[in-house]
Amino acid sequence: MFELHSWLEQATRHLAKDSAAQVHAEIREHYESARETAIAGGATSEDADRQALNALGDARAANCQYRRVLLTSAEARMLREGNWEAKAVCSSGWLKRLAIGMPIVMVAAATVLFLAGRAAFARDLLIGGVGMSLLIAAPLLPINTPRRGLIFRCAKWITVVGAMVLMFGPNSAKWSWLLISCLWPLAWTEWTRASIRRKLPVKSWPRHLYL
Amino acid sequence: MVNLKGTLPTLILEALMDEPCHGYRIAQTIKERSRGVLDFKEGTLYPALHKLENEGMIESYDSVEKGRTRRYYRITGAGRTMLAKDREHWRELSQAVTMILGEA
Repeated sequence: MFELHSWLEQATRHLAKDSAAQVHAEIREHYESARETAIAGGATSEDADRQALNALGDARAANCQYRRVLLTSAEARMLREGNWEAKAVCSSGWLKRLAIGMPIVMVAAATVLFLAGRAAFARDLLIGGVGMSLLIAAPLLPINTPRRGLIFRCAKWITVVGAMVLMFGPNSAKWSWLLISCLWPLAWTEWTRASIRRKLPVKSWPRHLYL
Repeated sequence: MVNLKGTLPTLILEALMDEPCHGYRIAQTIKERSRGVLDFKEGTLYPALHKLENEGMIESYDSVEKGRTRRYYRITGAGRTMLAKDREHWRELSQAVTMILGEA
């Protein structure tokens, strides 16, 4: 039994608590069945234990496969914490007002600058304002199917990268290290959410997984 | 012993065609039907079952058997459709390979 316990410990490394409990239950059940069959076939208790454990195979290989299909602890934390970007903005009143007011001010400023003849700067501001409003309006949009979610995410990334490129202009390549550092947290969040989407059936997706 | 990497989900669906089974029974069915030629490490069976369940190909439910709670799996409509496609694909593939090897 000690060997089974250590097999399970290795096979459930980095898995979320619920996922690990599920693996423990199903493998223990499987192990008991294999053991009973071996004993019914005439094996001693020790032999039955050894055969049942050998049949399970390498715990590290099983862990790799489990991590592809069950939630890891990091993913479970992200699911629990929800949409951290929205929560961070909504945590204080003035930040919320700033987030909503900023795109309006940017679009208004772009109009004024365009009328004043500064078309290039006005264009950048307009793109920034429209992009920001898209991101802020996301929770209000009817994004509730995987297809709409995919379209929204594509639009979001095109806007974010486009805004960065516009900001730096011809120097984008030179400042690429800064762009990558800025986008890294967003990209990591996106990657983790993509992994969660693969693991959870669509009917169990919380709202923020679509965005 | 033959490595059945990539074909395990199809074999699981086939094992579930007749009746719902628990994990251990599924593993034994695959081994028995292939007369021991197709062998695999049973620890990798459950990740494959979870994947199929996430994809809606199978569904699971708990049932008490001899005082022990066991998780049973049954194939869904989507799973049957997928299995029919996999069978057709396998038939084409094996015919093509047989034609090549038959000529050698």
